[in-house]
Amino acid sequence: MINRREFLKGMVATSFTVVSATSVLAPLSALASVGAKKRDDWLTTGTHFGAFKIKRKNGVIDQVKPFDLDKYPTDMINGVRGLVYNPSRVRYPMVRLDFLLNGHQSDTSTRGDFRFVRVTWDQALTLFKESLDTVQTKYGPSGLHAGQTGWRATGQLHSSTSHMQRAVGMHGNFVKKIGDYSTGAGQTILPYILGSTEVYAQGTSWPLILEHANTIVLWANDPYKNLQVGWNAETHESYEYLAQLKQKVKQGNIRVISIDPVASKTQDYLGCEKIYINPQTDVALMLAIAHELYTNNLHDKDFINGYSLGFEKFVPYLTGESDGIVKSAQWAEQITAVPADVIKVLAKTMAGGRTQMLMGWCIQRQQHGEQPYWMAAVLATMIGQIGLPGGGISYGHHYSSIGVASSGAAAPGGFPRNLDEGQKPIFDNNDFKGASSTIPVARWIDAILEPGKVIDANGTKVTYPDLKMFVFSGNNPWNHHQDRNRMKAAFRKLECVVTIDINWTATCRFSDIVLPACTTLERNDIDIYGSYANRGLLAMQKIVEPLFESLSDYEIFSRFAGILGKEKQYTRNMTETDWLKKLYNDCKSANEGKFPMPDFETFWRDGYVHFGEGKPWTRHADFRADPEINPLGTPSGMIEIFSRKIDRYQYDDCKGHPTWMEKSERSHGGPGSDKHPIWMQSCHPDKRLHSQMCESQEYRDTYTVNGREPVYLNPNDAKLRGIKSGDIVRVFNQRGQLLAGAVLSDNYPKGVIRIHEGAWYGPVGKDGSKAGGAEIGALCSFGDPNTLTQDLGSSKLAQACSAYTCLVDYEKYRGDVPQVSSFSGPIEVSL
Amino acid sequence: MNEVNSARAQFYQLLSSLFAKEVDSALRDELIGKQGQSLLQHLASEPEFKTAVDTINHQLSLLSNERQLFELAADYCGLFLVDGKQGASPYCGQYLQDNKTELFGQYHQKMTEVLAQGKLQLSSKFPEPADHIAAILAYLGYLCSDASRSEQSEFIRHYLQSWLNTFADTVNKHDQGGFYGALANLTNAWLTFDLAFLDDEALIGAE
Repeated sequence: MINRREFLKGMVATSFTVVSATSVLAPLSALASVGAKKRDDWLTTGTHFGAFKIKRKNGVIDQVKPFDLDKYPTDMINGVRGLVYNPSRVRYPMVRLDFLLNGHQSDTSTRGDFRFVRVTWDQALTLFKESLDTVQTKYGPSGLHAGQTGWRATGQLHSSTSHMQRAVGMHGNFVKKIGDYSTGAGQTILPYILGSTEVYAQGTSWPLILEHANTIVLWANDPYKNLQVGWNAETHESYEYLAQLKQKVKQGNIRVISIDPVASKTQDYLGCEKIYINPQTDVALMLAIAHELYTNNLHDKDFINGYSLGFEKFVPYLTGESDGIVKSAQWAEQITAVPADVIKVLAKTMAGGRTQMLMGWCIQRQQHGEQPYWMAAVLATMIGQIGLPGGGISYGHHYSSIGVASSGAAAPGGFPRNLDEGQKPIFDNNDFKGASSTIPVARWIDAILEPGKVIDANGTKVTYPDLKMFVFSGNNPWNHHQDRNRMKAAFRKLECVVTIDINWTATCRFSDIVLPACTTLERNDIDIYGSYANRGLLAMQKIVEPLFESLSDYEIFSRFAGILGKEKQYTRNMTETDWLKKLYNDCKSANEGKFPMPDFETFWRDGYVHFGEGKPWTRHADFRADPEINPLGTPSGMIEIFSRKIDRYQYDDCKGHPTWMEKSERSHGGPGSDKHPIWMQSCHPDKRLHSQMCESQEYRDTYTVNGREPVYLNPNDAKLRGIKSGDIVRVFNQRGQLLAGAVLSDNYPKGVIRIHEGAWYGPVGKDGSKAGGAEIGALCSFGDPNTLTQDLGSSKLAQACSAYTCLVDYEKYRGDVPQVSSFSGPIEVSL
Repeated sequence: MNEVNSARAQFYQLLSSLFAKEVDSALRDELIGKQGQSLLQHLASEPEFKTAVDTINHQLSLLSNERQLFELAADYCGLFLVDGKQGASPYCGQYLQDNKTELFGQYHQKMTEVLAQGKLQLSSKFPEPADHIAAILAYLGYLCSDASRSEQSEFIRHYLQSWLNTFADTVNKHDQGGFYGALANLTNAWLTFDLAFLDDEALIGAE
C-alpha cells in the first residue's frame, strides 16, 4: 500500500513548475464582480425564425420570448438558445492540416477527413490572402469563385456576402453567379412571360383575396409550413390571414384546392380540398385544363387579345394539330393520375368564378422547371383575371409575408458589397481568359469538372472558367447543391477552399481554411421586421459577446482588409456603431415627412420603430388598367404565351411556348421507375430554415427519428419492405446512399417519400469513421437528401437546380449502424 | 505540508495546461527537460501511473520537429476543439447536465460562481465555458493551498470524478496518436490517487 504522502514528497523533490504555460484563470476583475447583474433586462433582436426579446443571466442567454408585435411566433423559438450554444460552433480559426503543411499542393482527396489545426486570426487571414495571391498570379480572376450566396443571417450591416465580396474584391476580381437555388428556373423564365421575376415581388394583398376570390388554387404550395421563416426579422404577418382563410373555408365562403402529391401541412390546417397528382406531371394537368377551357369556350378571349401575345401559336399544340397529341383531360389522366372528370370540373371551377392561383417554388426545382411556371401563367391569362383583386397568379405568397401590404416606408440600406468609387483591387485584372465571369449558380460543379466547356444559358453561351479556389461566406453549398459524390470528385480539383461560417457545416468540413463568424445574437445590427410588409425597423441588440474567438463579419473582413493594407478604405474609417447610425439616419432621411423616426439613441433604447400597415394592393392592376401606359417588362410589353425570343434560341428543352416534356427520371410509370420506383421529394423543411437550426440539438430532438432525419413513407410501400416507424432506412440510387429514420404516414402516397432538405451531410466510411466520409460513395449517416439528387440544369434556359427530378428506392437497414457524424452531440455517461 | 500542497497544485496546473491548449515547443522542451523528466520518472515509479506516463513520454520523444507538433495539434483539435461525436467534449456540463446538448449551460454557471467566490475568473486569453476541464483543474490547483481537505474532496468528486471515467474512455476511443488518451488516463488515475490522499489525511486528523 503506497504511502501517498511520501510519494507526494517525492514530487516536491523534482522541483517541477510549469513555466511556459500561463494559467487559464485570472483574478476576478472589478467589472466582472459587479457588472453581471446590470444588464439583465429584456433585449430585442430578430432572426429569420422570428423577432425576439431575450434576457440574460450571468452573461448567458436565459429566456427567449416573442417580440410583442409577432402575434404568430412559431415553435422555432425553442431552437434559439441552440443557435448560439450548440457544440457545432466553429470556435477558432482552423486550417486543414495537410493544407497548412503543403498549401496548394495538398492531398485534396483527404478533404472531408476532418483533420484540422487551430491557428490565430492573423495566421488564418494571412494564409487566406496568400492563397488569393497565388490564384490571382497563377490563374487570374477566372480561377477564383467568390460569388455563391445563401440565406446568411439577418442584419443589414453584417450581411456576410457583402463583407466577403467587398473585401475579396479589394484583393482581386472573381467569378460570380446568376440566379439562386430557390427560384432559379422561375426567376429566369418569368421575365419573358410576365415581365418580372415575380418570385420576389409583392403580391395581391390577402384582404383583397379573402374578400374577392371564390377559389384559391394552391399549386405545389405549403405556405403554412414555409411562412415560419423569412428573409428579414420575421414577424409572421401572413398567419393572421391564413387564420381568416381557415374560417372562410370552414364557412364555405371560399374554396381552397391544393394540388400536391402529398398531404401538406397547409391542407391539414385549412381543411381544404386536395387533388393528388403524380409527381413532376403538373404541366400535363395544366395543359388539360387549358384544353378544357379552350374547347368549351371558357377562356377569356378579350383578355387574351388585349393583354397577351402568341395564343394562336400555342393553340395548335394544345389541340394536337402540331404534334398529333391532343392535350385533353383523357390524355392528362394517363400521365397525372388525375381523373379526366376531375380535370374537367376543375377547369370549369377555375373559369367559373374569381380564381387566385398561388404557386409554390418547389415545382420549378425540377428538370424543365421553367414549364410549370410558364404554363400556369398561360392558364391565368386564359382565365383572364390577372390584375383583378383575388384573381390572377402569384408566385410568392408562401414567402416572407408577401401578400401583406407593404407599409411603403423606405427600408435601410446595407453595408456596401462593392468597392467605393475610384477604388481598384490590388490585382486589377479583368482577363478571364475567354471564360465567363458569371455562371449560372447551380453549374459550378460542372465548371470545376469541365473547364472550358461551352453551354447554353438563357440565350447566351457560357464558357466554364477553370476554377481553382472558392470562398464561401454565410452559405452552405454542401447543403443546397445536388449529388454529393459528384461534389467530392469535383472538390479534389480545387487548390483552396475558404469558408466563413458559424457552425461546422459540411461545407466547412470540405474546406481548407475555416473562419468562425458569430451569430446574429452576438453583434449589433438593424433590419426591418415583417419582411415584405416592412412593418418597422428593429434594433438588433447584441445579446452576448461573440463566443470563443468568433467575430462579426464586419470585424473579420476589417482585419482581412488590414492585411491588405486597406482597412481604412474598407471601413471608410467608421466603427460598427458609426455604420449603424449611418444606416439608420439614411433611412430616417428617406422616410422624412412620411414615416417619422426618432433619433438613433431613442430608437436603440426602445428597440424598434413601427411604420404601420400598408394599403391593400392588387398585383398587375395597373397593367390591366392600361397595358400601353403600364406595359409588362416583356419584349412586347404583353403577357407572352408564345415567346419569340425563347423560340429563337432553338433550345430543345425550352421551346417557344409551354410544353410537356418527359423527365430524365420520373416515378409512376415514367423513365427509370422500373429500376428505382420511388420519387424523393426534398422540399423545404418544417423545423428549420434550410440547413439553419439543424445544429440545435435540443430542437433537432423534437423531430429526428433514431437520431436521424426523418424519411416519410407510405405505409403500404413500407410494409412491403418490412419497415415500421422508427426503423433505420437506407435510401439509395445509383448516385449515393443515406440512412434516415422511418416515419410511416398516410400523408404520403404510394411511390413517394419525403426527406426535407437541410439535413446536415454526415458521410461515414465503411468502418463508420468520420475520416472515411471523404470516400466517394460514402453513406450519409444523418439523411441528407442531396446525397441522392441529380446535378442537372433545368434546361438550357435557366440551367437551374433540378433537385426534384430524383428517383430512389429504399430498404430496412441491416448493417452496423454508424453514429451520426454530422454534428456534435451529448455523451452518454457510463454508469 | 505546504510543500506537498504546492506540488499537488503544480501538478494540477500542468494537467490544466495540457488540456488548455496544444502542446507547443516550449512546453515540450520543459517536459523533456531535466525537471520535467524527473517528475515524469517519479510518476512512472507508481504502478497506477506507469502505463500512462510511459505513453506520454514516448509520444513526447516523437515530437522532434514542427511537423510532429502539428500532428499532435491536429489530434488535440479533433478531440477537443471541434466536435463531440468523434471527439471528446472537454466540458463537464455535457456529461452531467440535464440538457447535455448546449454549451455555457448549468455547469458553466456553477463554475463561474465557484470561481467568483474564489475571486477568480477565466483569463481573457481562454474564451471558453468555465466548465472546461482545464479551468476545473486550474481551480483545483488553487484549492490545494486555500481550501480544507473536505472542501477539496467534495470539489473533486462533484466536478471531476463524476465524469472523468467516461471522458477518458471517449478520449481513448477517438485519440489517433495516443498522447491524449494517456493524458486522460493519467488525469483520471491521479484524481483517484489524490482523493485517496485527501481521505488518508482526513483519517489521520490532518487539517
